[in-house]
Amino acid sequence: MNKKKRTAAIVIFAVLAVALFVGTLISGTADKSETIREVMKDAVLHGQNRVSLFGLPVNPGLISAMTVTGIFLIFSLIVRILVIPRFKMVPGKFQLLLETAVGFFDNLAKTNSPHRNRFLGAYVFTAGSYIFVGTLFELFGLEAVTTDGITISLPAPLSDINGAIMLGCLSYLVILSGGILSNKLRGVGRTLKEFSLPISMSFRMFGALLSGALVTELVYYSVYLSYGLPILVGVLFTLLHALIQAYVLTMLTSLFYGEVSEPVHKH
Amino acid sequence: MPLNIDWQQILLHLLNFVVLFAILYFLLYKPVKAFMEKRTEQYRQMDEEAKKKVSESERLKEEYRQKLDAAEDEITAERKKARAEIEAATAARMERAEAEAQKVLSDARRDIEHERNKMLHEAQNEITGMVESAAEKLVAQSTTSEAFDQFLDAAKRGSVNE
Repeated sequence: MNKKKRTAAIVIFAVLAVALFVGTLISGTADKSETIREVMKDAVLHGQNRVSLFGLPVNPGLISAMTVTGIFLIFSLIVRILVIPRFKMVPGKFQLLLETAVGFFDNLAKTNSPHRNRFLGAYVFTAGSYIFVGTLFELFGLEAVTTDGITISLPAPLSDINGAIMLGCLSYLVILSGGILSNKLRGVGRTLKEFSLPISMSFRMFGALLSGALVTELVYYSVYLSYGLPILVGVLFTLLHALIQAYVLTMLTSLFYGEVSEPVHKH
Repeated sequence: MPLNIDWQQILLHLLNFVVLFAILYFLLYKPVKAFMEKRTEQYRQMDEEAKKKVSESERLKEEYRQKLDAAEDEITAERKKARAEIEAATAARMERAEAEAQKVLSDARRDIEHERNKMLHEAQNEITGMVESAAEKLVAQSTTSEAFDQFLDAAKRGSVNE
């Protein structure tokens, strides 16, 4: 592209951007069906907007969770059938990405729990991938129709408190299982000592993901802020807390698992 | 329940997660990890083989060095031995040559002595013959007493010369 063409492209892009911005200012906002208070309350409680799952009204977060599992199933099948059999000793870019992901969680498990880490590695890999992809999932804005007939964009699975409680408690149970397998009753005692762990893990994740959802809701609620700003708020914030939350939960789980599964040394 | 917590939905989330765990474990985590472990094992074997080869070459190098040292020692010993042999042979030859020279010299001396004696004996015989013939001549020319005196003079001269 020569200099003239580049200048012309920049000018056209700038004119379009200004035109769109002026358009949004002139057109104003349509009448909102919900107040900001209702929107935010619903984002927290999911009391109103329910989606039907085979006739059972559920939170949209559960639909998101199942969609994420579906995405993973298709992706994993494609990778298993087409990519993994063609793995090379010197990896290409995609192979390197897969190996880095698996190696990262495997190392996390091995480093934090050197005595027992086979199951832990697989668990933190699943949990980390689920949190990361599930959080990024809200960026795609897939739509679902509620039981009231309203179209909503599907949120992150873990912004649903039930999903967050499930993952927090399951992580606690995994830690407990590590304690029992390694140290029998002493392991149970060690795990029960951290009784606040399931609550703290669940609500930390719920709070982190919910805050992201709330900020995004707030930004989208005002039409003036929905121009340009969501690029920063939506993409960067979501990407950051997807990474941070995936790391925090997997790291904490590995750490506590390693602590309770460490064999007792008798002096 | 507060915060819209619903046990049924928690269990559905759990079911979903268990399915996801099975999918990711069997389709992604396990095969990728198996491949990585296989590669690590392969590299470990290669490393082990390389180390084994290095140690083997070190051993061979040491062995060759020792052999070289031994060969050098052997060469030095052989050289010393050869030098000693050469010196011994030279000395023996010199001794033999000297003995031969001595023998040649003594033979020569003996021959010379023999020749001298032979020549003296011949000379004596010749002189005696000459004296006899001279005496005969004198006897024929002079008286018996003069001839006798001449004979005695000639005999005296012959014994002095001898």
